[in-house]
Amino acid sequence: MTQPFQHARVQRATPSSRIAMSLCVIVLVGLVTMPWWASSGNIRWAIELSCYLAIAQMWNLLAGYAGLVSVGQQAFIGVAGYMLFVLAQNFGVNPFVAVILSLIAPAVLAVPTYLLLRRLDGPYFAIGTWVVAEAVRLATSNIDYLNAGAGLTLRVMTQYSQHEREVAFVILCALLLVATIGGSYWLLRSRIGLALTAMRDNPVAAASQGVNVGRLRFAIFIAAAVGTGFAGAIYYMAQLRITPAAGFDPFWASMSIFIVMVGGIGAIEGAIVGALIYFFADRLFGEYGSAYLIVLGLLTLIIALYARGGVWGLLQKLGDHPWFPVQRKLVLEDKR
Amino acid sequence: MQWLDAIIQGVLLGGMYAQYALGMALMFGVMRIVNIAHGDVMILLSLTVITLAGVLPLGNIGLIVVIVPIAVLLGWVLQKFILNKVVGADPLPSLIATFGLSIALQNLMLEVWSADTRSLPNSGIASASFELGGIYMGVLPVLVLICAIVLTFGLDMVLRTSRFGRGLRAAAADTEAAAMTGVDPKRIYAIATAIAVGILGLAAVFAALRATVSPSDGSAQLIYAFEAVIIGGMGSLWGAFLGAMVLGVAQAIGLRIDPGLGILFGHLVFLAVLATRPEGIMARKK
Repeated sequence: MTQPFQHARVQRATPSSRIAMSLCVIVLVGLVTMPWWASSGNIRWAIELSCYLAIAQMWNLLAGYAGLVSVGQQAFIGVAGYMLFVLAQNFGVNPFVAVILSLIAPAVLAVPTYLLLRRLDGPYFAIGTWVVAEAVRLATSNIDYLNAGAGLTLRVMTQYSQHEREVAFVILCALLLVATIGGSYWLLRSRIGLALTAMRDNPVAAASQGVNVGRLRFAIFIAAAVGTGFAGAIYYMAQLRITPAAGFDPFWASMSIFIVMVGGIGAIEGAIVGALIYFFADRLFGEYGSAYLIVLGLLTLIIALYARGGVWGLLQKLGDHPWFPVQRKLVLEDKR
Repeated sequence: MQWLDAIIQGVLLGGMYAQYALGMALMFGVMRIVNIAHGDVMILLSLTVITLAGVLPLGNIGLIVVIVPIAVLLGWVLQKFILNKVVGADPLPSLIATFGLSIALQNLMLEVWSADTRSLPNSGIASASFELGGIYMGVLPVLVLICAIVLTFGLDMVLRTSRFGRGLRAAAADTEAAAMTGVDPKRIYAIATAIAVGILGLAAVFAALRATVSPSDGSAQLIYAFEAVIIGGMGSLWGAFLGAMVLGVAQAIGLRIDPGLGILFGHLVFLAVLATRPEGIMARKK
């Protein structure tokens, strides 16, 4: 018997991923230095885009990997936003510290939500999340402490200069992106990532290989709730105002579904591509109102029927150049 | 007395929800899919009825006779061109496809009918009422409830006794085995969706008579139908009917406590049932 090969190594990075990594670092540095070179309008756009990227990535983790289709992620956006406003406005906590503290709210809400809804079959789980979001919205509209339907205003922000606020916002956005996109990337490359990918492809087969599907789903649901809540807290802090109708708007769910489906579900790159498409489409065609939304709806329908991989799936057919490679490739080096 | 009145009004309201829930229970029972555009399709039919009433000199009965065949056809088209492509073990494609459809439909209706609320012209029946033991009941809500009972009974009979019902139950239990014994699942699916949307056609006329409708009302109707199905117990038609009653009563009682609490009470009862009796109140013991 001859030795079939001398050296074998596992290749995890590709040339495309090295380029993407460098780009990510450049983008993050660019983002954090924005207050010194960009206009306030551009910074607002950057905050909005960061929130879209984060919310979509979290939905991708849920629906694309854990098989948990949620149409109620707005529940976590709203509770995190409200907790931030209450902590900063009523308890005098520094608002930028309150953003981090407010992540407790989505985590606490996610536990009973998951435990109740896990009993529902796939499609019913989705509508169940929607009911929870609606229930939280209606409850919020009935609580006088939260100013009921009229909502809250973040007046404490006036004590900071615009420059101070902008610096804090870009740092928070950078943290948000690192936590959600970087976190997803790290998770998918880890041992858990193998289990998640197996679950994405076939949950029953994954369970038979020793993956604890139930526990993993629970963990992902909570993680996604916290990530989504983080984005929600930043978004509404930048808005300076939150109302039940805005914070718990089902449109957040529509937006995540649109972004992830058009971009490409089950890939980190897909959610990024989708968020960029949505962000610019919204700038260009948002003024057409309902006609624009008809097109978004139909596009989502067509992609679900004919091109489940979305734009990223189509790009991958042209050539396999992952930005965030999560696979392990065995490279054999024959040194004879 | 006030609470007895609330319960009776709740049961009458439940009659409306039962009509939304029946079709959903039927479709989920046989295909394991939920049509997220269920409520939007109902609103679309309602708005169509209102427009038709303005053009054609039809009475309420005439409108039902016209809209139900349109609804049946719509259901068949929906199944043929969309749902048949996404039926399968994975719930994601059907959810996303019908979600996209729902967004598109809502906004299409906004374009066509604008955001105004509309209703059918009052023909007397909507405001007629009678008194029974000191409690006033509207003639129309009672009629809606009777229709819901007749529909549930009729549909249950069809499923139990007819050839189509046997085929449907076979396809629901095991699609491949049913196909081997000569049942055409796609045909069964098409009939089930046609029936489900056909019932929505009837519900659409009642909804337009009872209250106002506007293009964005569909999601709420979807949620009520869903809650009724889950409260009652998945896959059982009488369960969906009973669930609709429970939901209607919960909402009516909440409404009496505080006008802002009606719908929230419905959600809370739904969550309470999910926490304590997740198989639904009517589920058969396994």
